[in-house]
Amino acid sequence: MASSQELSDFLREVERRAFKQTVYAVRDDHAAMDIVQDAMLKLAERYADKPVTEYPMLFQRILQNTMRDFWRRQKVRNLWTTLLSSFGSNDEGEDRDPLDTIDVEDESDNPAAKLERSQTMKLIEKAIEKLPSRQREAFVLRYWEEMDVAETALSMGCSQGSVKTHCSRAVHTLAELLKKQGLSSKVLAKPTQI
Amino acid sequence: MNNNLHEDLEAQAKQIASLLDDHAQNLSMRQLKQLEDARNNAVNAHANAGVSVNRDGSLTGWIQDNRMAMVGMLLGGVLIAMLAMQAWNRNHEPSDAFLLGADLPPEAFVDRGFEPWLNAKLDVKAQ
Repeated sequence: MASSQELSDFLREVERRAFKQTVYAVRDDHAAMDIVQDAMLKLAERYADKPVTEYPMLFQRILQNTMRDFWRRQKVRNLWTTLLSSFGSNDEGEDRDPLDTIDVEDESDNPAAKLERSQTMKLIEKAIEKLPSRQREAFVLRYWEEMDVAETALSMGCSQGSVKTHCSRAVHTLAELLKKQGLSSKVLAKPTQI
Repeated sequence: MNNNLHEDLEAQAKQIASLLDDHAQNLSMRQLKQLEDARNNAVNAHANAGVSVNRDGSLTGWIQDNRMAMVGMLLGGVLIAMLAMQAWNRNHEPSDAFLLGADLPPEAFVDRGFEPWLNAKLDVKAQ
């Protein structure tokens, strides 16, 4: 059984990645934050008796399932929104919180490099968002979470062959999209930053 | 040739993942605070997960977490009650075999006039 400290350390390590992965999937920061919070609570409440070594897989599985629940709810909500579109709310007057616009300081001081990096990231993020959900899920688990094929299959609830197919298609699609933007060589030329 | 292409794509995928990972570290202060709060809530929930009785004294949480155990206990109780009833009936009611093999006709067993005689006979058998 994992201790509270171990759980805290694990969540601290994965929370940012989990949030960004969820943002790419649901394309809404607020919804993504809710989903990550929900997944964290589910992990803590339902799997308190599991050892910390099982947490990465369990957490990813919970996160993916919570995202699917979100999509299901969203479908129903969209149906009602379409039906009641004439009564739609106006969110334009919503106050902006200055904290939302403050980014944590980037280690890169060079403005040109910063700009280039930011543009590259925007293109990559758009390309990731355009991927079909299963391909994105496979890509994220396999390459970002660095799970092997068997772990990815277990986490996605599909066969290892499907994982390989999803990954291959995702990588090909990403490579094509980035090539169209003239980005593929640029990305490969960058040194690994982990 | 095919292997090289595959390796190139793998390398590119890892590079993209590396960039994404790097980018994920740069969240706004608000988002970092929200994640920290969520983490603390989860850790508190983890610490309380082993508690079977709620703070208000109810057992709701335990029942929700152990639904299967509760159903099992209920079915076990019903089964034990049925077995106990059968055993009791076997001991206290005359069986068909007993009625057919008795010296008296079956109607005699519902006639109250025979009760003292039958009880005396049962006592003798018991001794």
